[in-house]
Amino acid sequence: MNMTTLTNQTRKDNSREEVQKRKVPRAGKGFATALRYLLLALVSLTMAFPFYWMVISGFKTNDEIWQFPPTFWPETFRWNNYVDAWQAAPFARYILNSTGVAAAICLIQVINSSMMAYALTHMRFRIKGVLTGLILVGYMIPSTAVYLPSYLVLSELKLLDSYTGLIVSNCVSVFSIFLIRQAFMQVSHELVEAGQLDGASHFRILWTIMTPLVRSSFAVMVLITFIDQYNNYFWPMLITKDPNLQLVSAGLRSFFVEGGAYGLAWPQIMAASAFTIAPLLILFLFTQKTIMQSVNITAGVNKN
Amino acid sequence: MRVKLWRETEAVLFTLPALIPLLIFWLGPLGYIVYLSFTDWDFMSPDKLFVGLDNYSYLLTNSEFYRSLKVTLLFGLGSVVPTIVGGLALAMLMNSKIKSSGLFRTLLFSPWVTPTVAVSIAWSWIFEPEVGLANLLLGWVGISPIGWLKDQNWALVAVLIVTLWKSIGWSMVFYLVALRNLPSDLLEAASIDGAGSWDKFRSITLPLISPTTFFLSIILTIQSLQAYDQINVMTQGGPAGSTRTLLYMYYQSAFESFNVGEASSIAVVIILICVLLSGVSFLLGRRLVHY
Repeated sequence: MNMTTLTNQTRKDNSREEVQKRKVPRAGKGFATALRYLLLALVSLTMAFPFYWMVISGFKTNDEIWQFPPTFWPETFRWNNYVDAWQAAPFARYILNSTGVAAAICLIQVINSSMMAYALTHMRFRIKGVLTGLILVGYMIPSTAVYLPSYLVLSELKLLDSYTGLIVSNCVSVFSIFLIRQAFMQVSHELVEAGQLDGASHFRILWTIMTPLVRSSFAVMVLITFIDQYNNYFWPMLITKDPNLQLVSAGLRSFFVEGGAYGLAWPQIMAASAFTIAPLLILFLFTQKTIMQSVNITAGVNKN
Repeated sequence: MRVKLWRETEAVLFTLPALIPLLIFWLGPLGYIVYLSFTDWDFMSPDKLFVGLDNYSYLLTNSEFYRSLKVTLLFGLGSVVPTIVGGLALAMLMNSKIKSSGLFRTLLFSPWVTPTVAVSIAWSWIFEPEVGLANLLLGWVGISPIGWLKDQNWALVAVLIVTLWKSIGWSMVFYLVALRNLPSDLLEAASIDGAGSWDKFRSITLPLISPTTFFLSIILTIQSLQAYDQINVMTQGGPAGSTRTLLYMYYQSAFESFNVGEASSIAVVIILICVLLSGVSFLLGRRLVHY
């Protein structure tokens, strides 16, 4: 037996040992993975369960919904609950109000946030530092704290109970400015200078060069703003008393209190909640990548 | 000279579309509310009576205020800590290569996009004391039924459960990003050196994701100070003030009791808490967070 076969032999032994060493943790790993799956499935189902409960409670009869123990599958499906609820209050109008107001706010915020962000990142002027500081502070102080004086201001402007008031009072967001500023900071200043050498104005550089470059940040900003404003409840409820101007959350809440007489018509209330939530869940399903990307960007915002 | 002046003006013009609404609806009101907190006014009477620090001294002797402060603190701790710990735990569970993690992520994140009012209504039904799902589940494990939203010991817990349910998936996604950015060679090196999973977690993962934890704690604390929708729908601050946070007390004294002065002084306290928190977090951030 010469040296080479001997070393080969030991090598083989070594490798066999290695295989055996690996096998033990692998079996344990298989078990751990199974446990992970089980836990995740359990938690996910628990999280989704309130949605399921809402939808099926909306189908139950009033007698069945008050049974104890509750049924996990309706004995009879009363589709009419959904129709009744839809007709009991102007939900179509509420949804349109929410959509319209949220869309208008998004549009305005795209314009004013990008102009502000552009000025803060690619223009030179004296009060720049002050403005940046102001926006930083704005990020920390909750707007809910100033709802009372904002209400008084809006009332002075005679904008209570109007679409204009709903839109104008929400038309600027420190978060949106931050998000776009973050994106613009990544764009090289040389690009702006090149544009200027070509004789383009700042306005043109902003809309034809910068904005297309950071499309994905705008997508995130618009989606987050839209969802926030569509769901918005506290502030719109304060500044509108006219039922025709109510956004969907306030409309649903009045239906819960008045139409549903605080829990006497639970199936209809659950049906109404379900169709209020549905558009958002559908929107989320189609745009979840972008929405979750917001996390990447927000986390980035924080670092500065 | 003229070029320079134009450059300044142009930049200021660019900021105006955002700056004007900011001044009207945020900075102006911020100053206005400080002024209002020194007055006595009911929205109706033509004059605002200047009362100096009376509103504050009244607030500091008002037991309702201290109770509300306590509720705010409990609500803050009870929502921020579980959201962070739970979000991290879920992210750790999902981090290693798990198939169909996309589906889990969708399910866990979805509550975050839904309107708080609608889901709070659904949860009110789950917490219904007589026939609600929550008490059915408790019955299965042999616990006698709880009054939930009607019981002043449990109402806050119920509101916190909804708050946690809504934001845990959101915080999980933050941690997923942070965990994905961990340097894998560092963790492998530690494994080769014989470090166990817990050691690796404690001495490598936890410090490296501390910026995320730090950021989440700030954002979630501010969110907890702003929480209104779920309280308004589920308990309206009750029963017996057990879920009345400072923000809710502010809202009630302004728009239900029309006591503008008192309401403004509570708002100023909320703002001061935020300023204090940002100051502390700024100082702490420099020391504790490893970037």
